[in-house]
Amino acid sequence: MIAILAVAAVTAGTLGLGAMGTRLARTTSDLLVASRAMTAWWNAAAISGEYLSAASFLGIAGLEMQNGTTALWQSLGFVAGYLALLLFVAAPLRRFGSYTISDFAEARLRSPRLRGLASATVLLIGGFYLVPQLKGAGLALNVVTGAPYFVGVLAVGVVVCFNVGLGGMRGITYVQAFQFWLKVFAIALPACLLLIHLGGLPARAALFGDQYPSVGARGATVTVPAREQVTFPAATSYTIVPSAPGPARSRTLRARAGEQATLPAGKLVLPPHADVPVAAGTTALRGRDWARPVGGSGERSPVFVYSLLIATFLGTMGLPHILVRFYTNPDGPAARHTTVRVLGLLGLFYIFPGIYGALGRALVPQLYVTGATDTVVLRLPQAAWPGTVGNILGAITAAGAFAAFLSTSSGLLVSIAGTISHDVWPRLSREGTTTVGIRRLRFRLAAVVGMLAPIVVAFFAQGVDIAVLVGWAFALAASTFCPLFLLGIWWTRLTAAGAACGMVAGALLATSGILVGLALGEPGGVAGALLAQPAIVSVPVAFVTMIVISLRAVEPPTPDAEMLALHAPEGLDLPETGVRDPFVLGPRAGAS
Amino acid sequence: MATGEDLAGRTPRDELAEATEHGALYLRRLRQRQLALSLLALTAFGALVGVLPLAIDIVPQLRRDDLLSVPVAIWLLVVPLPPIFLILGALYARRADALDESFRELVRRR
Repeated sequence: MIAILAVAAVTAGTLGLGAMGTRLARTTSDLLVASRAMTAWWNAAAISGEYLSAASFLGIAGLEMQNGTTALWQSLGFVAGYLALLLFVAAPLRRFGSYTISDFAEARLRSPRLRGLASATVLLIGGFYLVPQLKGAGLALNVVTGAPYFVGVLAVGVVVCFNVGLGGMRGITYVQAFQFWLKVFAIALPACLLLIHLGGLPARAALFGDQYPSVGARGATVTVPAREQVTFPAATSYTIVPSAPGPARSRTLRARAGEQATLPAGKLVLPPHADVPVAAGTTALRGRDWARPVGGSGERSPVFVYSLLIATFLGTMGLPHILVRFYTNPDGPAARHTTVRVLGLLGLFYIFPGIYGALGRALVPQLYVTGATDTVVLRLPQAAWPGTVGNILGAITAAGAFAAFLSTSSGLLVSIAGTISHDVWPRLSREGTTTVGIRRLRFRLAAVVGMLAPIVVAFFAQGVDIAVLVGWAFALAASTFCPLFLLGIWWTRLTAAGAACGMVAGALLATSGILVGLALGEPGGVAGALLAQPAIVSVPVAFVTMIVISLRAVEPPTPDAEMLALHAPEGLDLPETGVRDPFVLGPRAGAS
Repeated sequence: MATGEDLAGRTPRDELAEATEHGALYLRRLRQRQLALSLLALTAFGALVGVLPLAIDIVPQLRRDDLLSVPVAIWLLVVPLPPIFLILGALYARRADALDESFRELVRRR
C-alpha cells in the first residue's frame, strides 16, 4: 500500500514538474534543447538522472546476485563512459551546434545520405533501449502491486509520452534533475539502513566462502508462478505443493547434488539450511567463485570483462538521449565542466547497487529458484527487515525504480521524437513556411508515434532479458557512433563513404554476434564471451573500416570550416560556422 | 574586447575568420595539442582500468586476502576508481580550458 502511494507520488511529481516546464516551453528550440541556458549543476544532475535506467537501478544488483561480482565491472564502465565523452566529444560537439547526431553526421561530412543512416541508427539504439525500460516498469509494478505486466508498461508509456509531448526538454531538464536526486536517495537510504540494521554483511560464508546460497534456519516456502526447471546444487529434500486443482497432491522428494527437477506451478517448500536450487540457464556459484570479479569462462572470463568495459566506455557517447542533452550547455567549456560533475554524481550513485546484490544473495536466495534476481532491489527491504520499516524502505526503492524508468524513457523519447520530427519527416514540409505551432505539433505527434512501437515490442519481449537488450544497445552505439564521433571530430580525412561503411560494418557485426549467441543458447568459452559482448571485435572493425575506406578516397576532403566550428574556442567573434541553427537567433553564446 | 577596434594589420583572428591557410595552421596546432592532452588522459585511464582485470585474475592474493572481511579484489573494483575518474576529468578540463585560453590570447595578439 505504501509502495503504491510512493509510486503514485513519483509519477504525479514527474507530471507536475513536466507541466511546470510546459509553461516555459515556448519555441521548438525550448522543446528540443531548453534554449541552451541550463547551469552546469542542473545539466549534470539531469544527464545523470537520464542515464540511470532500469539497468542501473535494478539490473546491476540482479546481475551481481546471479553472476557474481563480475557485474560490478558494468557499473564501473557506466561511469567511465563519461570520461571518454569528456576527453573526446563534449566540447567540440557542443561548439558544432547541431541538435542531433544526425545533424552532426550530415554537417560534418556534407552528406544528406549519411544523415539518413545516422537517423536510422538513432531510432534503432533508442528503441532498443526503450523496450527494456518499459519491461522493467511492467515487472516492477507487478512486484509492488500484483498488477499484470502490461499495466506497468502502459502506465510508464503514457506518462512519459504526455510529459515529453507537453514539456519537451525544458520541462524534462528539471524533471531529470529531480529524479536523479530521488534515485540516489532511494538507493542509498535503504542500503545504509539495512547495513546498520544487520550489523554489516550477513551470512559471510554464502558471500565469500565455500557455500552455496541457502535458506535460513526456518526453511523457506517459495512461490513458483509457472512450471520451472531447476538444478539442485547439493543434496536435499524438498516438498512441492502444486496449485493446480485436481488429483495432484503435495509430495516430498529427495534431490541428489546436481540433479535437475521440474517444479509444477505452486509452492516449493525447502527444509532449514537447504541450499536453494537455481533456475535453468544459470549456475549455482560457491561463495568464493561468486566473489571473484574476474576469472573463469563465459561471462566471467577476462575477454568478456574487457569487451564489456570497451562497450560501456565507448558506447556511452553514442547513446542518442545522452548526446542531445549536451546541447543544453551554453558553450564548449560548460559542456566540459558539466561532464566532470556527471563523473562525480554517477560515482556517488554506483556505490550502492552492489550492496543489494550481496545482501540479496544472503537474504532472499529464493529469487534464484525462479531466476527473478532482477527484482532483488525491490524485494530485499521487506525480506531483510520485516514489518513497517521494511515496507517503507521497499516503497522507497520502488519509487526510485519508477523514477529510473520514467527519466530514461523520457530522455530516449525526446531524442526519438526529435529525430522523427526533424529528420524522418518528409523534407518537403520541413523547408519553407512552417510555423512554430506546426513544428511543435509535429514534435508531439512524433513523440506519440515514437512511443507506440516500443510499447508493442515490450508486450512481446516479456521473456527477453533486460541485460541482453541494454548490452546490445551499448555495443551497437560503441560500434557505430563512437568511431563516427572520434574520427569525425579529430581526423580531417574521414569521408562520408568511409563513415557509412564503418557504421554499417560495426552495426552488422555487433548485432549478428548477439543474435548468433542467443540462437546457439549462449555457448561457453572465449567464443561465447565474444558472442555475448562483441564490442572488443566490432569496435576495432568499425574504426579500421572507416579509416581504410576514407584513405582510399581519390581526393582527400578539406573540412577546414567544420574543424573551425568544432575546435575554435568561444569569444573570438568568428563568423557563424557549423550547423545553421534555425531556431536560435543572434550569435552563439559564450563570448568571454 | 580588442577585436572590434580598427584593424591596422592582419591578426591571426582575421586569418581564422577568413579561412586562410595560416588560419587553418593555427587551428591545426590547437587541435593537435587538445588531442595530445586527451590521449594523455586516456593513457592514464587505460593504465589504471586496463590493468585491473588482469591483475585480479593473475594475483591470487587479491582474491584471498580480506580487508574488513571483504576480499581486497572487490574493494579495488568498487572504491578507488570513481574518485580517480573524477580527479582525472577535473584535471583534464582545467588543462583543456587553459589551452583554449592561450589560443585565444595568441590569435588576438597583433
